[in-house]
Amino acid sequence: MSSGNIQCERRGDGVSLCVALLVAVAMLGGCARLPYTTKTLHQDRRVVINAQEELDRPGYTHPATLSRSEVAAILAGLSTREQQRLPLRWFAEEVPPKAIFRADEIEVLAPYLAEALTKVGPDERVHFEVIAPGLNPSMSKDSLGGWVAVRDPYLYLSLEYFHVQVPIRTTDLYDYNYPTPPPLAKDYLVYFEPGRFWVTDQKGRRGVNYRAFLQSAPTTNGPGRELRTPAGTP
Amino acid sequence: MEAEIGMTGMARVLAKPSVPGNATIWSIRLLCSLGSLLIFFQTIPAAAVESGRLVEKDGKYVFVESMDPAVQLMLDRSLKSGLITQEDYDRVQRESEMRTYLLQPSYKAWYDRGFNFSMNDNAFLLKIRARLAIRYTQRERNDAWRVGDSKNYPELLGVFGDYRANRSIDEGSSFNLKRMRLYFMGHLISPDFKYYIQLAGETAENAQNPGAMSVLDANVQSTHIPWLNVQLGQYKVYFNRSQINSTAAMQFTDRSLASEAFTASGLNRRDTGITIMNDEEVYPVNYYFGVFNGSGPLVNRFAQFTSEEPTQGCPGGQTGGNPFPSPATGCPINQRNLNANYRSSINQLMYAARLQWNIMGRAGYGEGDIAYSESPQMVVGGGYAYNPAINTSTDNAFVGIDLANLNFRRQMATIGNARILGQGVVDLSTWTLDYALKYRGFSFQSEFWFRQVNRHNKGLPCVQTLTQGGACTTFAPGQYGNMTGWMVQSGYYVIPRKLELAARYTFWDPDTNSGGDLIKQVDVSLNWFLFGTYDHQIMVTYSNVAMGMGGFAIGRSAPLPAVGNPALAASFPSGNVPLDQGQQTLIENAIRIQYQLFF
Repeated sequence: MSSGNIQCERRGDGVSLCVALLVAVAMLGGCARLPYTTKTLHQDRRVVINAQEELDRPGYTHPATLSRSEVAAILAGLSTREQQRLPLRWFAEEVPPKAIFRADEIEVLAPYLAEALTKVGPDERVHFEVIAPGLNPSMSKDSLGGWVAVRDPYLYLSLEYFHVQVPIRTTDLYDYNYPTPPPLAKDYLVYFEPGRFWVTDQKGRRGVNYRAFLQSAPTTNGPGRELRTPAGTP
Repeated sequence: MEAEIGMTGMARVLAKPSVPGNATIWSIRLLCSLGSLLIFFQTIPAAAVESGRLVEKDGKYVFVESMDPAVQLMLDRSLKSGLITQEDYDRVQRESEMRTYLLQPSYKAWYDRGFNFSMNDNAFLLKIRARLAIRYTQRERNDAWRVGDSKNYPELLGVFGDYRANRSIDEGSSFNLKRMRLYFMGHLISPDFKYYIQLAGETAENAQNPGAMSVLDANVQSTHIPWLNVQLGQYKVYFNRSQINSTAAMQFTDRSLASEAFTASGLNRRDTGITIMNDEEVYPVNYYFGVFNGSGPLVNRFAQFTSEEPTQGCPGGQTGGNPFPSPATGCPINQRNLNANYRSSINQLMYAARLQWNIMGRAGYGEGDIAYSESPQMVVGGGYAYNPAINTSTDNAFVGIDLANLNFRRQMATIGNARILGQGVVDLSTWTLDYALKYRGFSFQSEFWFRQVNRHNKGLPCVQTLTQGGACTTFAPGQYGNMTGWMVQSGYYVIPRKLELAARYTFWDPDTNSGGDLIKQVDVSLNWFLFGTYDHQIMVTYSNVAMGMGGFAIGRSAPLPAVGNPALAASFPSGNVPLDQGQQTLIENAIRIQYQLFF
């Protein structure tokens, strides 16, 4: 290639190229968006509850009123297993589902979740995270996270982390210069028992027909497992 | 044995109201203070039991109750039916949990961004990581590259370290092991006493730094006091953002050429020394103050010396006579003077300071907004570094026949600061300002640099005399000025956390007193982060670099150093043909495809 040709090609004027790219980037700005947190409804070392705005106007029937016991009963019926990526999905042996929430997790989560469902709007969902110390507590937390939403008579739950180690700092504890973004949310398959209440709604989304479930199921966790009142609530 | 709070127990503790009553607030504060002291000295002899614990099994973390479920069921039913009392129930629970606790191994091992080995009390942790960046480069250069670059990135080869122009044919195709890193990091005694070791072994991209395993970082850090963290050893100087950023977390396959040149020391981004700083995660305004050798990694100022004749105070540097300016008063001629052994700068250190304000959030390091920040993250920072008494060669223009300081000179040439070479002893003062913004996948960063080069020897460098040690007949046509440059870059995640498009423009004036020497660089990159983190990525970066070859560089441009009649070729110890013939602009278009795995 001759130098003359390169001279013509070369700067294609660098500045204008950058400007053009930035304009293109700005135009793309509205395209790729993720749901975002609008407010933090509760936060302590064990549980974090956020309201998240969804961008596609999902039309939930929030605020929704469910008692803590009702929420606890629904949570107790949920189970999950991680979805394998393709092509492993075709060959890998399926792992049996596990209960998403342990009793102690339901105990701390359900009251705040019930309260949060009364505070979010129709375009918002309730994002939750149940936190436990990570394997290296200085560096990470054990996170059980996802979101919940209600569109009567369905309650939807999507799981993002099922006991995943999530960094608690934005940069590595030992390598100061290396950022530690949280791991990407995984794909989980969620189930509900009794299975007859795990249904597909008109939009093809899976959810719990919680109205029917609550009419047929007890809403306490059994003797001695009374749910506490969240701090600061009447 | 250190306490480990069980999951259920912890839930109970954490769920308590966080605002205590007034009557207890002081006692709680006192307890907290005592607790902090205990944690500081790592003497926590407490014991506790768990109702279960998280264990890693087949790559998943599962909670396992300490007690066998069958036994638990029988206990529950016995309690319910009144066969045992609540007291018996609690006692058996405690004993069972203690038994489980005592039987478990005192260490744990798991994988999480590296292989982790830890004692259960978290008093010791070793994390082993590795990083591979494998690259294919296809480049096209213009014909000016046949003349080559002798000014910014020359190669100093041979025992005398003479200048070689960096030349090549137009087309180049190469595979590189661009980065191969091994990391050993963790903490000892306490999570606040850390260590970090990074080894590197990668393909050489020039002839003067052959590939070999070397120690990039080796340091310890104390984070006991959040406002007074201390780092000691060899590491990257906290000076400017683009240097502090890890190459594992960039928007392009490489830093820009200019940002490589504007390191704190002018030699390398790494150095050996000590830095005090506060914790960026805690404080919105951050300071860094460091003292270093100012000589680059794995070397100190004992590797830098000036040439002196056997007669003290008489400059040496060439065979058979005195160098310029000479003859120095009282100095004899014709002494053996290749004695590059006088270490006159070993009492000097480099000082580097950085101040940073996180105006919004914590932008952190890492160039793009891979975390998809839900709120704007904005930071502005600035730095100053003073690196005195860098010997760029004896100040007599006879660089090619001066044995001294090959290590220092090669470091400068490797990062593009070779125009400073031959200016004698210089003090480098470097300023930087940087800015970063991240928001919902969009990122923008900018940096400005300025370097003042203070020559100890004032006046124009002498390059020719008629006789050894005689009066100067020809001086350099101009004085070396300063260096300046700036950079802007921006990126956007077209697919949040996965696919990013980024562009960068860099401007660099390596000698403010010269014309035709500007270096301009444009980069565009498409980056695919396979798992939404920097650990696994594929980058395709297009770069266009235009490098002006104008200006005067000692030992490479006419007039070349000579002793004797300049009309005679024999008067030129390194030849009489300058390396920068034509002084054209070197242009390179390159596509770099890089795969990175950090595990």
